[in-house]
Amino acid sequence: LPKMSAASQVERAVLEEEFNWLLKEEVHAVLKQLQDVLKEASRRFSVASPGLESQLKQENFILGNSTMDQVKGVLTLQGEALTQADINLKVAKSSQTMHFQFREDKQWKLQQIQDARNHVNQALQLLGSHDESYHFSTGTEVNKLMDAVMLQLTRARNRLTTPASLTLPELATSGLMKMFSPPMPGDVMVNFYINLSKLCLMVYQLHVLPPNTTKNFKPAGSSVLHNPGAMFELNNNRFEVSHIHKVECVVPWLNDTLVFLTISLQLCQQLKDKISVFSSFWSYRPF
Amino acid sequence: MSGNSLVLPIVLWGRTAPTHCISTVLVMDDFGTIVTGCHDGQICLWDMTPELEICPRAMLLGHTASITCLSKASAGTDKQYIVSSSESGEMCLWDVTDGRCIEFTKLACTHTGIQFYQFTIGTQREGRLLCNGHYPEVLVMDATSLEVLYSLMSKISPDWISSISIIRSHRTQDAEDTVVAMSVTGILKVWIITAEVSRMQDLDPVFEEESKPVYCQGCQSISFCTFTQSSLLVTCSKYWRVFDAADYSLLCSVPSEGDQAWAGGEFMAPDRVVLWTEDGCGYVYQLPSSLPSSQHFRSHVGKTKEGLVPPLLYKITDRSDKQLLICPPVTRFFFGRREPFHKLLIQGDSAGKLSPVEHPGQRASAAAGGAELQVSATISLQEAFDKLSPVSAGIIDQLSVLPGKEEPIKVTASAYIPSQGRLVCGREDGSIILVPATQTAIVQLLQGEHMLRRGWPPHRTLRGHRNKVTCVLYPYQISPRYDQRSLVSGGVDFSVIVWDIFTGEMKHIFCVHGGEITQLIVPPENCSTRVQHCICSVASDHSVGLLSLRERKCIMLASRHLFPIQVIKWRPADDYLVVGCSDGSVYVWQMDTGALDRCVMGITAVEILNACDELAPATVDALSHSAVNLKQAMTRRSLAALKNMAQHKLQTLATNLLAADNADK
Repeated sequence: LPKMSAASQVERAVLEEEFNWLLKEEVHAVLKQLQDVLKEASRRFSVASPGLESQLKQENFILGNSTMDQVKGVLTLQGEALTQADINLKVAKSSQTMHFQFREDKQWKLQQIQDARNHVNQALQLLGSHDESYHFSTGTEVNKLMDAVMLQLTRARNRLTTPASLTLPELATSGLMKMFSPPMPGDVMVNFYINLSKLCLMVYQLHVLPPNTTKNFKPAGSSVLHNPGAMFELNNNRFEVSHIHKVECVVPWLNDTLVFLTISLQLCQQLKDKISVFSSFWSYRPF
Repeated sequence: MSGNSLVLPIVLWGRTAPTHCISTVLVMDDFGTIVTGCHDGQICLWDMTPELEICPRAMLLGHTASITCLSKASAGTDKQYIVSSSESGEMCLWDVTDGRCIEFTKLACTHTGIQFYQFTIGTQREGRLLCNGHYPEVLVMDATSLEVLYSLMSKISPDWISSISIIRSHRTQDAEDTVVAMSVTGILKVWIITAEVSRMQDLDPVFEEESKPVYCQGCQSISFCTFTQSSLLVTCSKYWRVFDAADYSLLCSVPSEGDQAWAGGEFMAPDRVVLWTEDGCGYVYQLPSSLPSSQHFRSHVGKTKEGLVPPLLYKITDRSDKQLLICPPVTRFFFGRREPFHKLLIQGDSAGKLSPVEHPGQRASAAAGGAELQVSATISLQEAFDKLSPVSAGIIDQLSVLPGKEEPIKVTASAYIPSQGRLVCGREDGSIILVPATQTAIVQLLQGEHMLRRGWPPHRTLRGHRNKVTCVLYPYQISPRYDQRSLVSGGVDFSVIVWDIFTGEMKHIFCVHGGEITQLIVPPENCSTRVQHCICSVASDHSVGLLSLRERKCIMLASRHLFPIQVIKWRPADDYLVVGCSDGSVYVWQMDTGALDRCVMGITAVEILNACDELAPATVDALSHSAVNLKQAMTRRSLAALKNMAQHKLQTLATNLLAADNADK
């Protein structure tokens, strides 16, 4: 028995040295790596200082489906806003193609991108106050910092991977329909959103339900995507979605950003796992 | 609570105070109560005497995430209400006098600041809460019902708002109050709110009057000088600046020294400002004489900006015996509104400690380079607990005191079995104690002849775990399909042990996990027969196991998850075990083969988690009230309505960041 306790004493001393190395060297190395990755991610968002918005680069994205040509769009993304949306829409059962564009200097802000950018900046701010000169004294301190950073990074990623769910009346009154010239007809609705690294355009074709219809009216709930058959009521008129068209296009810098966010989250989690190996040791008391 | 019996909850705290890693501090207007919120979601109420002696009084539980803001929510002396908001969007209205929760709501967004705003219409006093946070507007909520009434939005460069300040107008008639805010990109925004607008419900958003880029990055706080009504103090991490409140021109700018980052600041007097850093040091500066008086400053504006550093009057040093803090302390400044008009700089830290510093009045003069003010009396939760006599007792303290050790062995997991009247306590040394519940409580709370008996009440000790017990489960209590004798425990030694609760024998040890056991769960009723006799165990190596109590073996071990497990859901009809991880990924496992069916993220993941709840039975009553909101469901205490509402609304709210207000008109 005395031999065992001597061995466990030695083990304890070694573990203590390992833990000190972790706090002094490894943690700072990981934090530096994290900062570098996040700075790269933040650069992708290319925010101009106020007043210099025109210097932001403009990117055009062609959204279309090779097999069907009902909907085609060319969207111009500048930073976090769509500055132009050139949409060609072929209405079902008719050979006419309708053409829509944003009214002059109207922009549609993609809140998902702004929120993701702000969350990444929050994470960078948290890391910024813990640079090489900062001395971590406990594992718990590192864990708390990692939890706070991971919360912001998870939120940033969620904003890009999970677009907002809207009800159809909310979509109709969102103001997007009023942005176009010529004005959107009352039986067409569009929605823009980011899904993972893709910029998506959803077009809904509606038909008005006559007031004395035999159909069972059930208003649809919130969803990112509404399917044909979804019904809603607005201003005493009832509508049903008859056709939907979805076209999308990959935005390369969004893809890069998502990869950076995933890498950062994994770096944080791995550091937390390393610390937790020691924390269960420190709370060990031989009884 | 049914029947005519009275149920009185009693808390046995034990000798160790709960951890209280302070994240926000609020001092009530009458300086009689201090409220602190912590990173785990608890709120602590402290009493303060006029001599600044502080004593903790109550702990308010309810929030499930870190408290981000605390604000007063009533202005009268008759009621003392506060509002708290958490990282997950929960908001609660509390009565500080008795700790009751009066109102509750859950929003989809996180607030970083809440300010109370009161105005009078005729004889009616109305209260509003102006909130800003991780969303591109200022929300105006009703202070009694916690409903969002309207929002202050921006037409020019809309973005998240860092901080706001409310400037009240002097006029009593047609009062036009101003809200000044700084966005995260350094643009100053001004909104005018009239009593008209404030009175109306359900509105279109109000757009800004003015939007001026001032290039202040990293703004931490804005403070309006209520003494002179003419200056605005903006504190950013790298500098603090004073602006003119009329035309927002820059009057003075002071950079931070060395590597300290400013965390906030306030006007203490017409010509004095107090600022504090992220690590808790406070500084008091004397402002240049040109600033307060409006006749002179304009002539000096161009000259005083450069090279002028206001003299430092005082510096509040951090304590020399600085404890190990696990996160930065929180500092705030408060004015007393009544005699003796204290000026209090108060700091709360991660050890649950409050440090008030009182500022001497105007008469104190400045010493060159700044005199140092020492922090006087501090109080932490643990110190308050230590002062108690008799010492606060824990539930089985009399059985847990070891000879030679000062503190009793801590209880780390517990389960109450009402059908047997027993309490099962797992302890940090690995032992599990079975005690009769009421007799144990009596020992701690009442005096009697039992105090003379050693080892009372009669108990049984189960030994098997090598170290701390983390969870205890009595499956029969959840479902009668399990053996009445089985008691299951999990510990830090990676093992799950099955006991016979009547004989105290260890029936089986499962050693399948590579990490500490964090949860023990009972699968739902309609699973396959084999799974119905299993317990689901979750461990800290991100693995999930299905342990069969009947076959005495592990029938499935799912261990491919990269991130900690947040939620376990079931889809028995398809024989799926669905694991939700902290990074938003969802893994779907097949229970009979143990194979990974799929791993998804994003919208699909959210939909899969929702689909697992779909087959939960909903009553006709709940279905017809699908539009009821959370507040109404809570008030009616209708569990069915709450469940139904939660299924439909909460998930959509969680991803819908006020999208309806997103329009760029």
